[in-house]
Amino acid sequence: MKNKSKQAKTVEAKKQELLSILKNKGQIVYNELNNGTFPQFSIPSRSVSNIVYDKKLRQYILGKAAAVRSARNMSQLRSFTQLAWLAFFVNRLVNEGKTSTLRDIYYSSQAFEIDFEDQPESDNIIVDLEAILTRAREDFHVFPEERSSVFGNLTIEYTVPGYEGKRMNLSDHPDGYLIGPSLSSAELVDTDAELVIAIEKGGLFTRFVEEKVHKKFKAIIVDTAGQAPRSTRYFLKRLSTELGLPVVILADGDVYGEHIAMVIKSGSANAAHLRELTVPDAKWLGVWATDIEKYKLPTIPMTESDIKRIYELQRDPRYQEGNWKTQLEVFLKLKRKAELEAFSKYGLTNITDKYLPEKLELAKSL
Amino acid sequence: MSSIKETFTQISPSEFFYRNRDLAGFSNPTRSLYTSVREFVENALDACDQKGILPDVHLTIKAVDPEQPDPKSYILSVKDNGPGIESKHIPLAFGTVLYGSKFGLKQARGMFGLGATMAILYGQITTNKPVTVKSCADGKTQDEFVMLLDIQKNKPIIQKHTTKEASKTGLLVSIVLEGDYSKAGIKIRDYVAQTSLITPYASITFEDPSGEKSHYPRIVKDMPPPPTIIKPHPHGIDVETIRRMMVDTHYQIPVVDNKMITKVRSELGLQKKNPNSKTILEKAQKKWSGLSRPVRIVIAMISFLDMDFEQLSKIRIDDLDIPNKKLTYWNFGDSQSHVIELDPETPYYKQLANTVAGDTLHTFLTRRFQRVGPTTADKFAEFTKFKPEKRIGSMTNEDLVRLADSLQKFEEFLSPDPSCLAPLGEEPLSKGIMKFFNPEFASVIQRSASAYSGFPFIVEMGIAYGGDIPPRGLQVYRFANRIPLLYDEGSDVVLKVVNEVDWTRYKVKGDPPLVIVSHICSTRIPYKTVGKENVADRPEIERELKNALQYLARKLAVHMSRQGMADMAKKRANLYSKYIPLIAQFSTELSGNKKEPNYKQLIVKGSEIEEQV
Repeated sequence: MKNKSKQAKTVEAKKQELLSILKNKGQIVYNELNNGTFPQFSIPSRSVSNIVYDKKLRQYILGKAAAVRSARNMSQLRSFTQLAWLAFFVNRLVNEGKTSTLRDIYYSSQAFEIDFEDQPESDNIIVDLEAILTRAREDFHVFPEERSSVFGNLTIEYTVPGYEGKRMNLSDHPDGYLIGPSLSSAELVDTDAELVIAIEKGGLFTRFVEEKVHKKFKAIIVDTAGQAPRSTRYFLKRLSTELGLPVVILADGDVYGEHIAMVIKSGSANAAHLRELTVPDAKWLGVWATDIEKYKLPTIPMTESDIKRIYELQRDPRYQEGNWKTQLEVFLKLKRKAELEAFSKYGLTNITDKYLPEKLELAKSL
Repeated sequence: MSSIKETFTQISPSEFFYRNRDLAGFSNPTRSLYTSVREFVENALDACDQKGILPDVHLTIKAVDPEQPDPKSYILSVKDNGPGIESKHIPLAFGTVLYGSKFGLKQARGMFGLGATMAILYGQITTNKPVTVKSCADGKTQDEFVMLLDIQKNKPIIQKHTTKEASKTGLLVSIVLEGDYSKAGIKIRDYVAQTSLITPYASITFEDPSGEKSHYPRIVKDMPPPPTIIKPHPHGIDVETIRRMMVDTHYQIPVVDNKMITKVRSELGLQKKNPNSKTILEKAQKKWSGLSRPVRIVIAMISFLDMDFEQLSKIRIDDLDIPNKKLTYWNFGDSQSHVIELDPETPYYKQLANTVAGDTLHTFLTRRFQRVGPTTADKFAEFTKFKPEKRIGSMTNEDLVRLADSLQKFEEFLSPDPSCLAPLGEEPLSKGIMKFFNPEFASVIQRSASAYSGFPFIVEMGIAYGGDIPPRGLQVYRFANRIPLLYDEGSDVVLKVVNEVDWTRYKVKGDPPLVIVSHICSTRIPYKTVGKENVADRPEIERELKNALQYLARKLAVHMSRQGMADMAKKRANLYSKYIPLIAQFSTELSGNKKEPNYKQLIVKGSEIEEQV
């Protein structure tokens, strides 16, 4: 049983902190308008040249470069207004305990005569606000449409309006629970799990539930549905830090699978302006390139783009040493790849009966 | 090939043109109708220009039988308020080919009035209908002629000639011809409209076959100054022209007719009815110092030919070949050509030789050409290695070729005199453009005179942008000697120059509402084809066009950036008054203030910010 009141405090404190930043920013703009000066925002630059890898934090971060967006500049006036509107809109969301999605933001803008040309433009303004506030959009209640799922013996308590205090166990429903806004903001109350298994594919997630992996391995199973969305990474982070659970990752035996594991562990360049989205101690269980030979997995040849991607990652500072580096080299040598489903060749339960226990054992020494 | 026996027969100019009508723009009913309209309208405008009359031209095209499908017979009539043509000249002017008053070197729309006769000829060939000409030259009587053209004999056949009282001068020409108005209509309407643009001092009315009238009123009341007829420039001369200039001197061999014989008799004081050659010569020797030049020449001829007056009147001197000392004459009596040797030792030889030898080179140059003074003439003589006192008539064929060649090559002649040109002028051109296009911006330029191959020319150009001009991209209106050029634009030098311009450099983008009006004036426009539709790319003309266009494009660029700045300021004002209130609204709620900030000053400030470069 974790300290419940401490959790609740954290959520509420974070909310108040955000609201005060928003109010502060609003007051600055208000004053500038009153004084007859053009308001402006300083936005950390997200250009490639300003994204650097921080070895201490073990993730990508933004450098010191920042751009000024000013209402004085005619070409920036519109996007400045969009930014002001977004701050105004999320202020309402957070105050009233409502949530929104990226798409919803795009459509909501129309009611205020804030003409976004398309959703990518509004998505981009949302990222700008994240960078200004140094808060993830989930913090100000904006979520992506894409959802991944979680299953396991974990009791949570909702904080969303109308459900405050209501509890639920995440093993009650065999299809798993969507990692959405209410789950992301729920407090993690109680679990007997000792491990989190993040798995790339929905199909195997279902298999794992069927095979009672959560019981056999005392695990919470998370379906990342490919490259893990930010809400999922945020949730994994909370499982890791708030419950102190180790996180392991299972992905396809190719360069993309390896990178899915890396992004969960140390973040993506796209979210270099944010913290709290990484699980630095997460472990990549497989499928490794070396597993392909060891387990005699059926393979398919790599495509041109697969190989190109290997060369790209070989230039990434995080792939310069250890197993990460070794596996890339072996993939490049094999020029073949294997999917998680490849284990089915040796029986449907082969992956849970044989591979998973062996890899978990191995992981202890990693 | 060699087995075919060729026969040579002489054909009349009418027949020549009949056989080559394609060359002159009469290749099919569509083109022919258009060309005929052009020829008559241009003749009318030229006639008025020459007499300084503000033109008032009426063009009517009517179908003979409107029910018939095209091509069919049309009645084409053009009426003007020009000087008219004297009654006695009308049959020749409209009933023969190659009769006209437009000789001499000055700018006119057409040359020699050939085209109008061609149109009459074409009408007669296709419909077998006569031409009707109504003319009043004195403001009192009007002559009406109905005529056909005898093609083989190149002679008019007058079917009817009536006169009646009239009050104004003017000319009306009406022909019936086969045409295709359904196809030619667009070009004819364009032609009339564009003619009104380049002739803003004219009033033009066009009544089309459907009876619809288009009237283009006079926009300017002042006529541009008329061109003057001037002597040729040495650079524009060839061997044939020199020959013609030589023949056309005061020192021609006189024709021995009754009038001349009477003159000789009276100067010699001859009483005898039929004196023989010996008697004449004896008398002449006594009175030589008192004889006039033509009489002396006749005496010299009598001496060489040994003929009396009777015989002399029955021959024609064909050639006096001084370098070879030979005289050729045609005897009407035996219908044969005769050649006699001339003895250079006799005293009469020099008289004869000097007569035909004509001017010295020096005199020939200074008197017969424009802008050649004694100094230039001497320099030229040195350049050609001819003696300045060498007589032109004594030159052999080779000499003449060398002379013509040198006239073109010698670089120290002054550039041609542009007083023979009649540009429209900047003000009338500008007014024409304003009236015609109603643009938001227009500018015109008249370049100073320049010359190519001895022919002076002036380029006038106008540019118009925006306003009523449709944004369909650049349109070019080409004119030469106040004639619109509508066909064959692809190969024209003006389009070549216009197309080389990178308009984005002048702040013109996309399909701009842009018009360029180009007018080339010259005593000889270097057309590429006989149809007079496109101008060849002479480097001198190309350069002038380029300079004119660059000047205008820069003017346009200045306008565009001014316009751009005004547009930008307007856009700024709109943007700031839209967005600043929104920002105020959002920041008010965000900061938890009750009242909106006073942002009015910022909207004003915003629209006043200068665009940062």
